[in-house]
Amino acid sequence: MKRALAAVAVSIALLWIVGIASGHADLLRVLVTGSIGSTFAIEGTLLKSVPLLLTGLAVVIAFRAGVWNIGGEGQFIAGALAAFVAAPLGTIVAIVASILAGALWASIASLMRAWRNAPEVLTTILLNFIGIELLGYCVNGPLQEASGKYPQSEAVAASLPQLGEIHAGVALALIAAIASWFLIYRTKEGLRLRATGFNPSAAHYAGINVNAQIARGMAISGGVAGLAGGIELLGVTHRLFERFAAGYGYSGIAVALLAQLHPLATIGAAAFFGALVTGAGELQRAANVSSSVATLGQAVVILVLILFGSMRSRTS
Amino acid sequence: MTLRIDHVTKSFGATRAVDDVSLEIEAGEIVGLVGENGAGKTTLMRIVAAELAADAGTINVAPPPSAARTAGGGGATSIGFVHQHFMLVNDFTIAENLALATGALPREAEGIIAGSGIELRGVTRRARDLSVGEKSKLELIKAIARKPEVLILDEPTSVLTPYESDELFRVMRNIASEGTAVVFISHKVREVIEVATRVVVMRRGRVVVESAKMTAEELAAAMVDTPRGDFAPVTETRTGEIVAIVGVAGNGQRELADTYLREHPRARLGFIPEDRTRDGLVAEMSIAENVALVGDGRRTPQLIEQYSIRAKGPDQLAGALSGGNQQKVILARELDRAPELIVAAEPTRGLDIEATRFVHEQLRRAANRGAKIVLITSDLDEAFALADAIQVIYRGKLSERMTPGEASSRVAALMAGVA
Repeated sequence: MKRALAAVAVSIALLWIVGIASGHADLLRVLVTGSIGSTFAIEGTLLKSVPLLLTGLAVVIAFRAGVWNIGGEGQFIAGALAAFVAAPLGTIVAIVASILAGALWASIASLMRAWRNAPEVLTTILLNFIGIELLGYCVNGPLQEASGKYPQSEAVAASLPQLGEIHAGVALALIAAIASWFLIYRTKEGLRLRATGFNPSAAHYAGINVNAQIARGMAISGGVAGLAGGIELLGVTHRLFERFAAGYGYSGIAVALLAQLHPLATIGAAAFFGALVTGAGELQRAANVSSSVATLGQAVVILVLILFGSMRSRTS
Repeated sequence: MTLRIDHVTKSFGATRAVDDVSLEIEAGEIVGLVGENGAGKTTLMRIVAAELAADAGTINVAPPPSAARTAGGGGATSIGFVHQHFMLVNDFTIAENLALATGALPREAEGIIAGSGIELRGVTRRARDLSVGEKSKLELIKAIARKPEVLILDEPTSVLTPYESDELFRVMRNIASEGTAVVFISHKVREVIEVATRVVVMRRGRVVVESAKMTAEELAAAMVDTPRGDFAPVTETRTGEIVAIVGVAGNGQRELADTYLREHPRARLGFIPEDRTRDGLVAEMSIAENVALVGDGRRTPQLIEQYSIRAKGPDQLAGALSGGNQQKVILARELDRAPELIVAAEPTRGLDIEATRFVHEQLRRAANRGAKIVLITSDLDEAFALADAIQVIYRGKLSERMTPGEASSRVAALMAGVA
């Protein structure tokens, strides 16, 4: 916790220095007002935080089972595609479909593990490429809007209930975070999941079917990432298009790392990165500074965090 | 060369692990460093090897080591330390592990092994596939190959058979005669008496006895500070039976244990794995969570009490416990459920006298309660002390059942495969 906060502080200081050195002395101020300075800004931050929170949770859950799920991007897309197809049956069905699709997409990696012991780090990332291309095919082919003008779908047939700009997905994401914490730390399933992640050998001798346990962890993880895609479609974009996933799957890894792989801390980490992305958007509009400064900030936080980690392990 | 330990003190939190210890160790000596679990033996030696910093006191070597000897050695004074826990690269072969440790080439491994006087075959096998006994031999070869001035062995015989132990003692005497000071940490009174030229007994962080001549009784008495009253006699209403499977490490013991694991529902099987740090406990989880993995986590406070586990409480991380206490947690977890069948692989490895007696008593009790017990052990004393029947495992095959009386004359030959 202390380490994560210190990493955030150091990277904010670095951003400030970068701002001054590049002649944008108000860079930090714009970032802050652009992310939390107005109702509009806060809404933007909240909306950006939701997918980050869910993809971050997906990474946390899989990590607890001892697996790096790098496939959030693909599972996110699978969830959104399923939600789009199921939307005519109603919002709830669409949400459930997104969870199932994400879980199934992640389970392909588990099957490959069971069949040929293929490592998830590789298979999930390769499944991302397939997911991205599949989405590209869909919005240029079977799911393309009737006018055929842009590579995007029609508006989705259902949407999440909204309160102003804020959709019900915010509540769903928070519930998912608390539920993940409860699952991991308060249930027998979570106990076995963590034992498998920490020491698969001891888990095996404690009578746990390690491969099945990892597969369940991956399915839950994928389900959460799929839910992120469903919520993004039904609450924010309302359409599918080629760059729909926008890197949320990968950013989830950074969120999980900043949260030190704890499900509740993921809420704070997602809010921070959500604010960074939203503030950077304002920076581009107001000060003509490329919004990729958000990506820079993200990278710096994680690098500083890793640096602190290695410093600590060396001194202890 | 003289290694001089001068008023060394080291605390971990509130516990004073090493308390004002002074000791001199001369070249060519074999010092038996004995004491119960947690007496401070390993901590003291880790300070000597510069793995830990002392809170107070100094370690000196006179005369200072020459440059030639320090080069490539471990630590400034060329100290070899064979740890109780393995420090091997699991994915490397024996040859690669040796190359890594010594700076030699992998193809020179066989020569290094031959030079050490220790028998270890198949240098292209990966460390992960070795038995615990073989891993411990490899660690020893690694340390000897660096020709240390001081060689520290932490419980080296706990995973060895009597034959392998004798082999080890021969190696120890050899390298001592070449001028290395050997420190042999052990709980096994008989072995210490046999091999050590001087015995140092530690108790609660202090050196309590230092002597060149001690009988086994004197030594055992010096190690424990509680009166050694006999255990209450076990009621002889046996419905269960203890079968000991004895053999040299690496003859299929692990596979045998795994068979039981596969063929019996875990809930009704008590299982004490051979390698407790790897297979027994999840170090990163609490004692209560480790108990809950197989049994009822809520019973942890009672279990800590009943098995006198030295822990701060049920929420302490299992990895923070000493080896002996980790073993007690496993034992408590597995026996508390009163399973019908108990498979115990090397259940007393690395434990001190008191803890060993405690484990034996618990197994005996479980048998009396009606449980069937399979005791897989390389410690013949243990087998003969506990078993109602004995079988020898050799190259994956079990001999016929023998009574302890029949076994006493045949076990050695069967274990060596010459019967």
